[in-house]
Amino acid sequence: MTFTNALREKPSETVMRDHEPGSKAEKQTLDYLFSVTYEELRRLASTVKRNDASSTLNPTALVNEAWLKLVKSPPFETTSPLHFKRIAARAMRQVLIEAARRRNAGKRGGQVIFAGVDLAVTEIAFGGQELLALDEALQELEQLEPRQAMLVESRFFGGLDVLETAELLEVSEATVHREWRAAKAWLKHRLRQ
Amino acid sequence: MDTARLKQIQGLFLEAADLPETERRPFLETACGDDGALRAEVLAMLQEDAHGGSLLDGDLSQVARNILSEFPDSHLPKELGPYRLLRMLGEGGMGVVFLAERADLGSLVAIKILRDAWLSPARRERFATEQRTLAQLNHPSIARLYDADTLPDGTPWFVMEYVEGVPITEYCRMQDGSIEQRLRLFRSVCEAVQYAHGHAIIHRDLKPSNILVRSDGAIGLLDFGISKQLDDLGQAVQQTRTELRLMTPAYAAPEQLRGERVGVFTDVYALGVILYELLAGCAPFDLSNRTPAEAERIIVEQEPEKPSVAGRQRASAWADLDVLCLTAIRKDAERRYRSTEALIRDIDHYLAGEPLEARPDTWRYRLGKFVRRNRRAVAATALATAAVAALIVFFTVRLATTRNTAVAAVARMERVQQFMLNLFSGGDKSAGPAEGLKAATLIDRGIKEAQTLQGEPELQTELYLTLGGIEQKLGNLPQADMLLNAALAPHNPESLVAESTVALGLLRVDQARLEDAERLIRQGLTNATQARPRDDRAVAKATAALGKVLEAKGSYDKAIPVLEEAVKLESGPGSNPLDTAATLKELADAQFYAGHYDICDNLTQRSLAIHRRVLGGKHPLVADDLINLGAVQFERGHYVEAEQRYRQALDINESWYGHDHPETASTLSMLGRSLVFQHRYDEAVNLVEQALAIQERVYGASHPKVANVLNELGTIALQRDKFDEAASRFQRMVDIYKAAYGEHHYLYALALSNLASVYLAQKDYARAEQMFREVIRRYAETLSPNHPFRAIAQIKLGRALTGEKRYAEAESQALAGYNILLKQTSPTVSWLQSARKDLVTIYEALDQPSQAAHFRTELADTVAKR
Repeated sequence: MTFTNALREKPSETVMRDHEPGSKAEKQTLDYLFSVTYEELRRLASTVKRNDASSTLNPTALVNEAWLKLVKSPPFETTSPLHFKRIAARAMRQVLIEAARRRNAGKRGGQVIFAGVDLAVTEIAFGGQELLALDEALQELEQLEPRQAMLVESRFFGGLDVLETAELLEVSEATVHREWRAAKAWLKHRLRQ
Repeated sequence: MDTARLKQIQGLFLEAADLPETERRPFLETACGDDGALRAEVLAMLQEDAHGGSLLDGDLSQVARNILSEFPDSHLPKELGPYRLLRMLGEGGMGVVFLAERADLGSLVAIKILRDAWLSPARRERFATEQRTLAQLNHPSIARLYDADTLPDGTPWFVMEYVEGVPITEYCRMQDGSIEQRLRLFRSVCEAVQYAHGHAIIHRDLKPSNILVRSDGAIGLLDFGISKQLDDLGQAVQQTRTELRLMTPAYAAPEQLRGERVGVFTDVYALGVILYELLAGCAPFDLSNRTPAEAERIIVEQEPEKPSVAGRQRASAWADLDVLCLTAIRKDAERRYRSTEALIRDIDHYLAGEPLEARPDTWRYRLGKFVRRNRRAVAATALATAAVAALIVFFTVRLATTRNTAVAAVARMERVQQFMLNLFSGGDKSAGPAEGLKAATLIDRGIKEAQTLQGEPELQTELYLTLGGIEQKLGNLPQADMLLNAALAPHNPESLVAESTVALGLLRVDQARLEDAERLIRQGLTNATQARPRDDRAVAKATAALGKVLEAKGSYDKAIPVLEEAVKLESGPGSNPLDTAATLKELADAQFYAGHYDICDNLTQRSLAIHRRVLGGKHPLVADDLINLGAVQFERGHYVEAEQRYRQALDINESWYGHDHPETASTLSMLGRSLVFQHRYDEAVNLVEQALAIQERVYGASHPKVANVLNELGTIALQRDKFDEAASRFQRMVDIYKAAYGEHHYLYALALSNLASVYLAQKDYARAEQMFREVIRRYAETLSPNHPFRAIAQIKLGRALTGEKRYAEAESQALAGYNILLKQTSPTVSWLQSARKDLVTIYEALDQPSQAAHFRTELADTVAKR
């Protein structure tokens, strides 16, 4: 009797990872990742606020916690931690901006007024209007220098550190330091105008 | 402002910021010339840079706290159509539910509004799904849909029946009714769930807070927010898991937590947990103060106490209730109640005082568990069983058809009896070998027996061939080598010499000594052809073996006609159907690797039909056919179908060979691969690592069979971005193939290609490009021009060139690969998808929008089809 080998005996070409966004399917996946991350961040944020007043609502911690919760679920399994943080930074920005906008709408009868140089004391403590103004300025920066805007968003809203940001943008840490400094000065100046 | 201006401003700012403060103004005077606005802007930025205190200088925590500390929904209108919002009933990840009053009728309703609808289409889609689900369900115990609309800003909302009641667990605590009353109440919950299942909808989030009891004792089932239509489960598995992460795990079934397929059995589990709580007064697992990870581990691994123990009841009186509850919440979905209906039946049996249909865990199940726990120890017995089976085949089939009529029938029968007696000495003769008998012992006895057969050289040769075949099959290649060499006695008839030579050649294939193998087999074929009298069977077998060795060398164009010839030779009158099937299978292999999947499928179906007819449905050869059919499905991109075939095969192989056998290992490894492509990584890794351990133990660390498993592990690591691990697995694979086959073999090239894929993923494009070019050169040496591997390597090279922004070169590679694959495979396979994506990128970069649009459309169409 001849014992033949079945097809299983042979390995095959391994898959190629698809990183580059652009296709419709990838956009859908991204949309899905974003939507789930957003919900998880919101849920986490709401549990923090309910627990005790002294705990800080730190975006970095929230993003990390969201990552820990979501990492084992497809399609997050194929998402690198860095890529996830990038998505989470965007989600975090959306959560906060949306919340600030609503709160502002509640206070001002639906009219959004951006913060000027002389903020009322209560508004400084609240910070919501400054946040909305920052969002506006950041949108302007996105038009001019999308990568720099990504840097600000990732660092400020996603809590990525310099090393992570460097990896994300594929530049050196020194470049991140310099770009961050320049972007910050430009944005701060913009907020005063 | 434009980009150039911004760059200019920021550039000057950074230069100035690097200077001592006193030198900054003079520097800017010079640098800005008469552009006063520029100078003013940079100076302002320098000033901002020197001062902290803005939002961007601090962290976001305090602001986030302030903003999120209250979340007024004041922007919502007070009225939605004819409904007036009264108060919020609850809020979840997706939406907010309000109590509302219908102004004209005065009736109370619940309104669910999707929060942040603007955020993403995925959210709107899921909200719409819930609405559609509710619209399908019309049952007195399920809150029904009344109305739906959207706000002017696009926010969707829908109106449901308002269920005024308390969670079922709370209701039972307050009522403190009898067991029978609780069971009847629970039964009506099951009926509502059963109704939903009847509409192919699984709820997936059953928990007391979603099951309310009205004051009149009627049930209201709520929240189909994450329910799923059963017929789209294939698509749903991915999303299921992520959604689940958003809810508390207390009522989630193990398969949900593991991200595996969900079904009606998932709802059965949740119902079981609720029943447990209703009966025992506490949940089956105490998850308070546990992290999500701990809770998950407990649910997946820990066995619950019996409800009678948890509820401090008399065990004998609660025996049936224990079985009822524990059957519903078994970890293994297949061992739960098959359906809600089956659960209801047993509730009815209990209420009627009849015996239940469910049974407690049997001794057979426990024995099975014991065996699983002690795989290693049991494995030796399983191998011995395989060896015994082969020896029995020898005596019942091989000797019965032996060509030498000089061996008198009577003498032969005596020999057979003597041999069996010796073999099984120490065991119960009617029951087979003693339990502790090892394969090695059996073969040793066989060798001793063979040595006594000096006077009957042909019989002796036959026995050596058989024993060598067993050793080869057990993976003991040096012993097999020794025995098959012993079979090569020159004084035998030519046809028997031919057979022994071919057998040794086939062993060389397993030893990956292919040149040697081809030489031996060609010599055996010559011997068989020249033998007088001519032995057609030996010629056919030698021809098949030649096809096999050519196939192993990757020369499919040469192998296919040889194997077709062998099938013809073996299909004549009086031929053994099993030999025909074996050759059919070999031919199917060659067609498969040549990329002719339809032909392969067809040949394999023929082989399967023969095997089922001759051997029945539970034989490993049937498993092999199933695996091959699975491989075809896999290559066509039908991973779920592939998984089904592999699981059928695994069932057969595990029960035939045991859990710790190379055949089982191969099947595990294949099954793992089909799971990887369904993104079920944890399951896959677990299976493939089992396979690796088995193959390393049986074949040693540097055998090609080990390399095959390493390929799977490398692939999984790569998909999970574990680049170092992936590179080291593939490197080991490269080394093994290089040592076994040399550099001119396509498997060596394949290993290189997979290693290069890691560099590609790491964006080390130059290194990847260089390696892919070598791969393509190697493939060209051994594979046919239309081989899918060559196409894939070209697509990969195209991806590397795209990374290097060498788009014109990338286009020619990607397009060539794409065109080959389009001819060979289903249009939806992942490789073609990758090629399409790359071509879109390439044509966009080359500014050829119509070509880009063409592939984008194809991509969208095929995504929709999958």
